[in-house]
Amino acid sequence: MLDNTALPPRSAKSPTARGPHLGRLTLEVRQHMPIWQHAAILISLIGLGLAISAAILIFAGVEPSELFQEIILDNFLVRENFLAVLRQTAPLLFVGLAAALAFRVRFWNLGIEGQMIWGGIGATAVSVNHIGPESVRLPLMLVSAVIAGMAWASIALILKLRLRISEIISTLLLNYIAGDYMLHLLYGAWLDPVDSFPHSAQFASYERLPDLSWGISTALLLALVVVGITWWLLRVSRVGLYMKFVHANARMAHAVGIPVVGVTIGAVLLSGALAAAGGFVIATGLEGRLTQGFFRGYGFSGILIAFLAQNDPLVVAGVAFLVALLFDTGRSLQVFYQIPFAMVQLIQAVIVTTVAASEFFIRYRVHWVRRSA
Amino acid sequence: MLDFLANWVANSLGMATPYALAALGLIIGERAGVLSLTAEGLMLVGALAATAASLVVGDYPIPALLIAMLCASAVSLLFALLVIVLRVNQVIAGLAIVFFCQGLTDLIGTMANWTNRPVGGLAKLPIWPLSDIPIVGHVFFTQDIVIYLTLPIFVLVQFVLTRSHFGLRLRSVGENPEAVDAAGISVPLYRFIAVVSGSALIGLAGAYLSIGVVRMWVQDMTGGRGWIAIALVIFARWRPWWALGGALLFGGVEALVPRIAATGVRLPQYFMLMTPYVATLGVMIWVALDKRTGSDEPGALGLPHVREERR
Repeated sequence: MLDNTALPPRSAKSPTARGPHLGRLTLEVRQHMPIWQHAAILISLIGLGLAISAAILIFAGVEPSELFQEIILDNFLVRENFLAVLRQTAPLLFVGLAAALAFRVRFWNLGIEGQMIWGGIGATAVSVNHIGPESVRLPLMLVSAVIAGMAWASIALILKLRLRISEIISTLLLNYIAGDYMLHLLYGAWLDPVDSFPHSAQFASYERLPDLSWGISTALLLALVVVGITWWLLRVSRVGLYMKFVHANARMAHAVGIPVVGVTIGAVLLSGALAAAGGFVIATGLEGRLTQGFFRGYGFSGILIAFLAQNDPLVVAGVAFLVALLFDTGRSLQVFYQIPFAMVQLIQAVIVTTVAASEFFIRYRVHWVRRSA
Repeated sequence: MLDFLANWVANSLGMATPYALAALGLIIGERAGVLSLTAEGLMLVGALAATAASLVVGDYPIPALLIAMLCASAVSLLFALLVIVLRVNQVIAGLAIVFFCQGLTDLIGTMANWTNRPVGGLAKLPIWPLSDIPIVGHVFFTQDIVIYLTLPIFVLVQFVLTRSHFGLRLRSVGENPEAVDAAGISVPLYRFIAVVSGSALIGLAGAYLSIGVVRMWVQDMTGGRGWIAIALVIFARWRPWWALGGALLFGGVEALVPRIAATGVRLPQYFMLMTPYVATLGVMIWVALDKRTGSDEPGALGLPHVREERR
């Protein structure tokens, strides 16, 4: 809404008076691109991101020769370390799938951390109040976590569907509210009676996810089953096709009779449920209790995983493993080099940036147009 | 009671200032059509830069504020490169920049050992003789330089946006970049200027938070104020004066909580900490329910401009 509808008259300078006249850059929308070229652009920009990350690490004081040792050798050749990476993969898989599902219906679920927190609260509530017999305690905790996560996700969903309130802001604000509520519980009713620290009492052995025979956690198994189900849902089932329509063009999808609202509700609730399951897995599998900062960083990692995997569940599994590798490396750098864990977040942001930039070169061809004198 | 009110209003101004400046910075960028989610990150950059300048060079608040503005603008160049030149999705780019800034400031703050170290910060500058007026003098004329400057900054930005050729072109770029491009005005140039200058104000907002309010750097100290500022812009319907009003409202809410606690009323602490976020959600719901038309939302907000792609 402008005050004047007409643009002001331009100054009398002729176009030739502007700048030296060698030519100009123009963009051309590519109609077709060979797959190898696509891959080459993507790989070179991921390479650029990794190179920048390596430069930051070296600047922070890591010996270049030890970088390879820390990331590759230590994580793949030492059995405990490799198992630790796999253990870290499970929650990342859940948040990656949660983000992917929501993005499939163009819902910016930036509230993964809030939903994880509610997953943790839901699970811990069952443990603290001793609900149900010991044999079904763990499944009850999962169910409670999932319901709490879905309920929390539904707030932003209702606000968006009913009032058209941007979910970008509302989900982020809800994260802070969930975090403060968890602190209220941890500093109040759920304060650990044993050591009086602000975390919940340790879960009993039957409230923790057991390890399988070779030290692989049940959490990972659960996560892989969910990957399979999500793959089936997105790639095989009718709902997956509907979601494809909604992603491409919601109005068009509505016009051809696809239940857009129903598909959106289903996908977002499922997204909240998966994020909550991620919180459940960390509380019952990794930490063994509800801790203050267990969710930190997972929200962004989920978005990053879904973005890099282009919302494909099988690729999500691969990317989640790589991010788990990064997390684990970050922890050992923290121990051996006193490099803050924030480094992990920084590296993820750098890589998202370069991969996002690669889309420009995939989509357009940059031309230099010479001007004839 | 009068004392309570005077103290509350005086503190509200300080709490409102970061919101006001950040929202104004966002409005400048968004009026040129760039949806900027970067505020939370750029505020952190400004906050750390101002603290670092105070710790390294000494307590000279004005240079520290200018350095903070420069640093935030420098980081916003990266954002501008991504969304204006490379046409990256503005939501993805904005989020990536926020997380980049969170990681970077946390890393630098820890490695340089700038965390939790108190700085002298901004001093109160009483404007004599106005500061000697009872109550009013204490509330409005015994404040620091940033609070005094906020109103002139708003006047200036409002004037440039609505009363100058430059502002008209900037808003046209946000409304209809194709038409502006056809008229021979450079869309990328105007968007660059808008994003970088707006980001300087966002950096100033962050700097004020660290050296004006808290007087030290703590990691993630903005605590979601950047997101609240984005909500404020929506509430203000992209109009600077409305944003100032909204900021005062939020500053008032934030300043009220510790005042009430100080009077001895027992309140559940963590529920009190939620109030800014709950209030923001409430305001967004109120805006959504309000059916009045008349918003200055730019027509091309969030859309990249590619001359070669005709719509």
